[in-house]
Amino acid sequence: MSNYFYVSPEQLTKDRAEFAQKGIARGRSMVAATYENGVLLVAENPSASLNKISEIYDRIAFAGAGKYNEFDRLREAGIRWADGTGFTYSREDVDARALANYYAQHLGDMFTEGQKPLEVEILVAQLGNKIRPTKLYRIAYEGTISDEPRFAVLGGDAEAIRERFAANEESLHSLQETLTNAVSALAGPDRVIATSDLEVGILEDRGARRTFLRLTDEQVSELLR
Amino acid sequence: MGLPLYDAHSDPGPSFFHFAQSVGIASSERTNTVESPHATTVIAVRYDAGVVMVGDRQATGNYIASRDVRKIEAADRFTAIAISGTAARGIEFIRMAQLSFEHYEKMTDSALSLEGKANYLSPIIQRNNLSTPLIVIPLLAGWDTSHRIGRIFEYDGAGGCYERFDFATIGSGTPFAESALRLGFRTDLDREGALELGALALYEAGDNDPSTGGPDFVRNIFPMMVTITEQGFQELDVDDVAARFRSINDRRTQSGGVAGGTLR
Repeated sequence: MSNYFYVSPEQLTKDRAEFAQKGIARGRSMVAATYENGVLLVAENPSASLNKISEIYDRIAFAGAGKYNEFDRLREAGIRWADGTGFTYSREDVDARALANYYAQHLGDMFTEGQKPLEVEILVAQLGNKIRPTKLYRIAYEGTISDEPRFAVLGGDAEAIRERFAANEESLHSLQETLTNAVSALAGPDRVIATSDLEVGILEDRGARRTFLRLTDEQVSELLR
Repeated sequence: MGLPLYDAHSDPGPSFFHFAQSVGIASSERTNTVESPHATTVIAVRYDAGVVMVGDRQATGNYIASRDVRKIEAADRFTAIAISGTAARGIEFIRMAQLSFEHYEKMTDSALSLEGKANYLSPIIQRNNLSTPLIVIPLLAGWDTSHRIGRIFEYDGAGGCYERFDFATIGSGTPFAESALRLGFRTDLDREGALELGALALYEAGDNDPSTGGPDFVRNIFPMMVTITEQGFQELDVDDVAARFRSINDRRTQSGGVAGGTLR
């Protein structure tokens, strides 16, 4: 005879949440913020090839924190969803909100029904235009989706970084100011992050259809000078 | 469409075509014969700093279906793709190619090589042409950013891909365009020479092939002329193109309508 032990839903949820939070806390954090001309995404990432920030579509970017293989699969699914939707309908029908909802549903399903919850926190950023607003959607490991008005922080040390970033947030306008503040918020008071350990991407209108741009180390050092 | 997540073993990778097939948004393969307009003459000529492409603008069914079709499109910044054959399938093919190259770049964070793009299209053409009567024959030309040369790739009806080191033509005007190219091509062509030869070859095709539209001075519609170089895909503006065709036309008139009179 097999033994079945009763586990209350409260206990199950608590255990799973603790498990996911621990996994996410092992990775480094990232900050996304809007500035006067666009959206900035900054991650602390010592790898130059395993990206945390990526282009999804013409005006949509993705960022992930936590377990790389898990959020990278979500990133790929997002690109497929966006390209497939744009191919079927039209490029202007690809909306970040719809994608963020799909991500939230999937993360929610994995949290309650999966073998284990995904140890990730992700962000879907959209650069606004005439038909859609600029948006930052943060989606947590259990599927909670939050629409962040000006900036969002993902990863283990999120609370502290959020406080540090928010302290100067009111006075930020340019890309340079926003990036400088984001990097010092990520680093904290006793640490300096080398430029080579930063991954920076922006969504900004430059006259072309695609607005995502990955900044090189040189461009980042120039802005942080 | 829901969120397209795959297991590692069934993942279509960075190929948009295979993904589109797996979710059923690419066209199905079996079709009945339907009458649909077809597109006609496009020429690519290699020169010292890239490739020139010239394409006519006419879509022909039992009558002229359209006079201002664009048969050459930028597939990405350094690649041009042109179509002949069934217009409906050709347009879908261009969309598929454009999206596939961008999709690969976003998925892998690196651009496909020009040869990779050329090879990628082979099985797509093969599947279309061997399973439907709606034949499409494309022509691919681009600036190879790693080898720093212009390159041309042509295809046969079964999807076979062949690199051409001089020039290539597709469409029903091919015999006439090709004859002009064979007479005029030299290995040391510069931009001006390649544009002149391409325009002349298209003029000849438009003159002799009923399904190829030559310059239309009445409506001011002229063939498309583009260059693909280190600066990327650039389309000549319509006044420039009009002047080139007007000068060929004048020479033809001055020579009393003799075909050879168009050569300088």
